[in-house]
Amino acid sequence: MGGIIFESVSKRFRHRPVLFNWIGKERAGETRALDNVSFSAASGRVMVLLGPNGSGKTTTLKLISTLLLPDSGRVLLAGSDTRTDSSRARRDVGFAVANERSFFPRLSARENLDFFAALEDVPRDQRPKRIRWALGMVGLHPDSDTLVMKFSSGMYQRLGIARALLKDPKILLLDEPTRSLDPASAMQFWKLVRGLAQQDSTVLLATHNFSEAVSVGDSVVILREGKVAARKDLHYESAEHLRSFYFQVTGEPEEKMFLAAGA
Amino acid sequence: MSNRLFRLCDKLLAIAHKDFLTGLRYRSAFFMTGLGVVAELAAFYFLSRAIGPAFRPQGMGYFPFLLVGAGFYAFLMMGINSFLTSMQESQQSGTLEVLMTSRTSPAILILLSAASAFSRNALRLLLYLAAGLMVLSSVHLRYENLLAAALAFILSIVIAVAIGIIAAAIQLGTHKGSAVMWLFGSVAWLMSGTMFPVTVLPRPLLWIAKLIPITHCLDALRFSLLSGTLQGVGREIAILAAFSVVLLPAGLLIFSYMLKRARLEGTLSFY
Repeated sequence: MGGIIFESVSKRFRHRPVLFNWIGKERAGETRALDNVSFSAASGRVMVLLGPNGSGKTTTLKLISTLLLPDSGRVLLAGSDTRTDSSRARRDVGFAVANERSFFPRLSARENLDFFAALEDVPRDQRPKRIRWALGMVGLHPDSDTLVMKFSSGMYQRLGIARALLKDPKILLLDEPTRSLDPASAMQFWKLVRGLAQQDSTVLLATHNFSEAVSVGDSVVILREGKVAARKDLHYESAEHLRSFYFQVTGEPEEKMFLAAGA
Repeated sequence: MSNRLFRLCDKLLAIAHKDFLTGLRYRSAFFMTGLGVVAELAAFYFLSRAIGPAFRPQGMGYFPFLLVGAGFYAFLMMGINSFLTSMQESQQSGTLEVLMTSRTSPAILILLSAASAFSRNALRLLLYLAAGLMVLSSVHLRYENLLAAALAFILSIVIAVAIGIIAAAIQLGTHKGSAVMWLFGSVAWLMSGTMFPVTVLPRPLLWIAKLIPITHCLDALRFSLLSGTLQGVGREIAILAAFSVVLLPAGLLIFSYMLKRARLEGTLSFY
């Protein structure tokens, strides 16, 4: 079905001035975002990419969605290489990007989703039903006719998730999905994610929030400075043990980690 | 095949609907543009009166020369700019990354967005020409060359689309697309014969003018719509066809290369 294989993937970003910026004093060199990262995610499961800021979580999601191409290694989606068959990724992957404001501000939530649904090949006669369903799933149905320019950060975030659900993706990528949600909405969202995995979707969720990882995930890949620090199956690890382990491998101050967990 | 075409039309409708709603909800900009067109037409009319009827560039009255030249120049340049602005806006708003992961391929997406922009601009062009020809002047279009005019119009759009795709590619690759387009627009305005016939330019500039496709677009449209003979039209149409054959595949290749480079370097949403 919709499994992901991430095979020895490395990704660097070079710091060099863009063309026509000859006198720019940008930082030279490069950032190694991912270094020989490998993991696989099976369908019907929620895998969490857990790590502090700058650990390579978003880069990993962007590589799976083909927004980025790997420098070396391979990303396989149901056996297809994203480098040679990016249309397959566009067909199968739904990506709720972290950028909250990636909508047309002068259109309502429903109009925005209608536009994106057309580009996702959702048949015209099925669109109203699908949009109603997606908005209902994220609790935005009462605001479906509100212009999105009037939305709060949390509403933008929920609308982004609704957009990713529109195409009924086999692989769902979620980047910090509950960052702007209140605790009740976050818990409701975790239930939704679990439900999607039970329908045989592969869900890959990136977060720095330890509580979120243990609440929603089946397995976790801990990233640190672009490398895999550990892979754990959450059904066989106690949360307390994993918490100390996470603190140990990421080297984050414990107070900061507890604050993030409580957010 | 018909299913694919149906989906394509559905997507075009969705893009046009989104553009229409967005335009409608920025009402003041819509009315300002309308007022700008009226002011421009009035300026051309009085300019042609001040210069007098003796000045007949390419054997035509100066007002219709200006009307067709400036009307089509604005139409083509607005079309070209729409590629750039839609790329810039989607980079700034963050929609580009979402669009690039949709089931619609980037090339189709950019062509459909351009089609929507051109239809919008075509309406403006029609109003512009109608107002100019009916209200301010007694000039009549020559309908015997309508087929040639239609052909010149279609080829001009193909060329504008190709230049627009190159402009979008430049924006993706250098993030300075507007500066490059400003330079191109200024040079084209000066040397494509919008306000005066290019024959008055010094010889070196005349050669540059001949290399700008817009020059041939305006000549072909003026000859076919205003002169009443087919003399010169055939040659201009052949030149436009040659530009189309070279520029469109080149534009798509450059765009595809820049997109791949942006995906490799992680600069897709940089601006």
